Amino acid sequence: MAVHAVLRSFWTSFSGLKLVNNCITSSLLKNNSPIMSTLTVQSRGIRQGEFICKRYHIEGKILDVPAGPQPPNPSAKCPIYRWNLQNKYNYTDVLLLSQFIRSDGGMLPKRITSLCPEEHRKIAICVQMAQRAGLLPDHKPKLPEGHVPKKPKQNLNRYLTRWSIDSVKPIYKTGLKWCKKRMAVGHPALKNNVRYGVKPLYIKH
Amino acid sequence: MSSFSRSAQQWATFARSWFLIDARMQPPGKIASMCSVRLQGKHKPIYHALSDCGDHVVVINSRQIAFSGNKWEQKVYSSHTGYPGGFKQVTAAQLHHKDPKAIVKLAVYGMLPRNLHRRTMMQRLHIFSDDALPDDIRANLTEELQQPRAIPRKLSEYTPEEVEAFPRLWTPPEDYKMK
Repeated sequence: MAVHAVLRSFWTSFSGLKLVNNCITSSLLKNNSPIMSTLTVQSRGIRQGEFICKRYHIEGKILDVPAGPQPPNPSAKCPIYRWNLQNKYNYTDVLLLSQFIRSDGGMLPKRITSLCPEEHRKIAICVQMAQRAGLLPDHKPKLPEGHVPKKPKQNLNRYLTRWSIDSVKPIYKTGLKWCKKRMAVGHPALKNNVRYGVKPLYIKH
Repeated sequence: MSSFSRSAQQWATFARSWFLIDARMQPPGKIASMCSVRLQGKHKPIYHALSDCGDHVVVINSRQIAFSGNKWEQKVYSSHTGYPGGFKQVTAAQLHHKDPKAIVKLAVYGMLPRNLHRRTMMQRLHIFSDDALPDDIRANLTEELQQPRAIPRKLSEYTPEEVEAFPRLWTPPEDYKMK
């Protein structure tokens, strides 16, 4: 019903709610907000002498989050450049990646996170690789109730997977050395990452 | 060690050791190269191809190996039965499902030298798909080798204090409905 939608939106639009369950006598009915009237509508059919007053008094307070450490480069627009993390993160840095994803694993839009387009793409690629590696177990999409998977999924450990597992075909003929069909590992978007060893980054295995 | 007696030094140089490798979340190629080095005896300064100085290697948790990239779907293991129409090609995922030890075994076999010593070296390789080891092998183990790949931590494995200590990179606008 539309009234219940209004109630739900009123609930979710506050961050930091304080819920106080008050039982108010009939004299205070006039001062109530329209939300209260929905509950009085429901209790109209109850007989005299029963507990009919059950009010939810919602107080919305915007909590002050304590200011964390300041970024070393506050004048930059993109948060990655503000903290000087460009070319320094990987699919394993889950604490960083989890700040840019929703609870069902999807990415938050650029206009909200203020990431520049290249970094947004790199973060999306790293999030994809981390999800395929199983490093974000709680950020899975919610399945409908009573969903039974048709065939049992084989739990294979993997990491640095570029392509989606259903979309890849087996390489039946790999070819000779000069024309070998290589297998892709990692992503070329991360080729500029800082490497602290002598060995180069191998994208094709 | 210079403090050993002569017979103890002789024993320590020429005895056959038993190494243990845990293959959990490790790439099978790196595990196989470590195994092949120790099966040939190339980790010893007294190595000679004819002197049969290889050691035993025990690989556990071979069911939980991790391929990088999309190799589970792309890598194909081919074989021929010898009969016409007997060319079989299976993907790594299918082969692992049928036999969880086969991938590590084939990888080590391909890394050993192609001579008659290869079969004896393969007999000294012991692969187990899980943690369960027979008691006689467990009694023989001398050293555990370090895993080649550092296993990354999942988000659920971080303590709440560590998650709190990591700074917030961006603040959401007040009117945005988070998640």
